[in-house]
Amino acid sequence: MDAISPLASIALAGLIHASFQLSISTLTLLGSRAIGAKVTRVRLVKLVGGFTLGAVIMTLLLLSTTALWLQSIFGSIVPNLAWAMACGLLMGLSVAVWIFYYRREPGTSLWLPRGLARFLMDRTKKTRITAEAFGLGMTSVVAEILFIAGPVIVAALLILGLPPYWQLAGIAVYGLTSLLPFVVVALLIANGYSISKLQRWRSNNKGFLQFIAGCGLIVLAFCVYVNQVSDGIALTGGGF
Amino acid sequence: MTAISYVVKRGGKRPTEAFDPDKLKASIVATCLSVRTPEGQAEATANSVTDVVTRWLDDKPEVTSEDIRRKAAEALAKYHPEAAHLYKHHHMVI
Repeated sequence: MDAISPLASIALAGLIHASFQLSISTLTLLGSRAIGAKVTRVRLVKLVGGFTLGAVIMTLLLLSTTALWLQSIFGSIVPNLAWAMACGLLMGLSVAVWIFYYRREPGTSLWLPRGLARFLMDRTKKTRITAEAFGLGMTSVVAEILFIAGPVIVAALLILGLPPYWQLAGIAVYGLTSLLPFVVVALLIANGYSISKLQRWRSNNKGFLQFIAGCGLIVLAFCVYVNQVSDGIALTGGGF
Repeated sequence: MTAISYVVKRGGKRPTEAFDPDKLKASIVATCLSVRTPEGQAEATANSVTDVVTRWLDDKPEVTSEDIRRKAAEALAKYHPEAAHLYKHHHMVI
């Protein structure tokens, strides 16, 4: 089937998106604050659920908007030059992830400017109602746009090449894979798993997560290059 | 009589304030609760930690909020290592 290969690449892009940790960090902090403030279990589930929904909707909006924007530029046939640029972006991002995604200090501090990190932490502390948690979930996705831009753009380009009836499936595949670990963490928090154990695991394994995210970007760049750029060059006789 | 210690806030942007044991106790209780410690145990742990920090402050007219956090985390580690880890790293999550 023609759609299987692009859908697999979209799933890979979604998994790379999932390996970025800002939303999970914010969710962990939100859960910890809410439990520490003695909120009821129902309120905790609503806060975590609201946050998750906000992150899901913003991810889907971001992907759909990017796809629409790219379609208005390229139509349904993406030129080889655009694929080659997307590969370059992924390679650049992979190096950036390896070098400065996590700060070199204890804990799980990310690359974010400290002003923005403080703003997110303050907002997380003050979040008490579901609508605020929803907004925080959306903000946490936007705040990481510098890194998720790569997988989102590649997924959007791949979606453009799908037949119309597979495009929604492509968006769904990206949404599901990008938010799978996030939903697992939300369920763990809602079901009473110790947040300090979760945070300790993330802190102890941050180097591995960083390495995997960078490798994933390179693998995706390689897949895109082989499937789109080199195939395209072979078909068009080398023209961009 | 115990002299009042003043706390210089992190980053120096917010004004210096007098040490408030209740504020410290509330933050320790919240941390213990967030690692699912029973409420009574959280209160008892917070009282013990606050006592340690208050005694430590006796001969110090001015300290930073980071000093208090470090000392409180040290004391908390004896009673509840899991909560101490979360307390120590709370501003290093994002």
